[in-house]
Amino acid sequence: MHEWSLALSLVQTLDRWALERGVQIRRVVLSVPSPAQLDVSILTEAFDALKRESRLEGARLDVKVRSPRYRCRACGYEFGQEEVDAQIGRLMGQYGEEYPLHLIPELLPTFVKCPRCGSHDIEAELSIKVDEVETA
Amino acid sequence: MRPLLEIARERLRRRRVVAVMSGKGGVGKSVVAALAALARPGSALVDLDLEGMSAPRLFGLSGRLHEVGKEGIEPLEAGGVKVFSLGGIVGDRYVVLPGYGQAGAVEALLAFAKLGDSDPVVVDMPPGMGEELLALGRVADFLPVLVATPSRASYGVVKHLAEYLAEMGKRPAAVVLNMAYVDCGGSRIYPFGRGEDARRLAESVGAPVHEAPIDPSLEDYVGRIHEYRGPVADVVRRMVEGL
Repeated sequence: MHEWSLALSLVQTLDRWALERGVQIRRVVLSVPSPAQLDVSILTEAFDALKRESRLEGARLDVKVRSPRYRCRACGYEFGQEEVDAQIGRLMGQYGEEYPLHLIPELLPTFVKCPRCGSHDIEAELSIKVDEVETA
Repeated sequence: MRPLLEIARERLRRRRVVAVMSGKGGVGKSVVAALAALARPGSALVDLDLEGMSAPRLFGLSGRLHEVGKEGIEPLEAGGVKVFSLGGIVGDRYVVLPGYGQAGAVEALLAFAKLGDSDPVVVDMPPGMGEELLALGRVADFLPVLVATPSRASYGVVKHLAEYLAEMGKRPAAVVLNMAYVDCGGSRIYPFGRGEDARRLAESVGAPVHEAPIDPSLEDYVGRIHEYRGPVADVVRRMVEGL
């Protein structure tokens, strides 16, 4: 369900942005980190439903799901998503629908430990970002 | 572009944001913030003390999770106040976050909180002057309410916060001198002194001082702060009326 609130935020923000510049938006590239476990089809469905009667009416949403690179600030170990997947899977099992990283992926260090030293002091790019906006 | 930061700004743009802060921990910020929200019907309380999460405990909402709908995070409600807290996202567990995580949590909470027509939005700030303070500054033009105790230990920290706020062009709207005195049969005993330093600080920034007593009965209302009608609530209500 959070995909809808994210899509709403995106449409509202970009509609205002486009209005200020007097442009229409044709394409939006949204970059989301894979631990957010956002459902891309629901996100695009919500975007398409919410963009009507806005400056995004003719816009296409492309969602890039990126696998972050992680670095432990305690021991310096660098690792990829595959070394975090088991912990993410357990977390999803524990919270179910209320999986917290779905809403706030930046909470990841609270739940995930460095696979080498066990520290929570983990660095990664986890924000949801608009990478590109094409206008007309 | 970071859409959550933009939408958080937009959602708070036309509301009064009252940030209850201190720099110092343990001075009663969360109680003052909760009572401030309760003093104004239609208020929302956003708990930005990400690691402390006192607001749910004060209102008896610990362990309850926010529902997330199509329009964002549904509030937890008690005493007519809409409460938003990271505690309603993670449940009853610790939160440990580096600065970027705190920034993301603040921006997401403020972007997705379904505030409805809530006004004012009272923000319970954490101790310290870390990422949450910077993040709130990025998102909203807030009205600071400083909480101190008469202790000199409290004053030094609050003074630094006031200096920082002044540099940012913000003037505290009020100073709450909390745990200032004990009412003994009608006479006031000031066990920690009169807090002259904090009073001078408030005077120097033109902020009124609201002296709140130590009320041991307040402890009985942890978990049902919305039922508390004691003298601390009276002081905070007067403070809010003066904002």
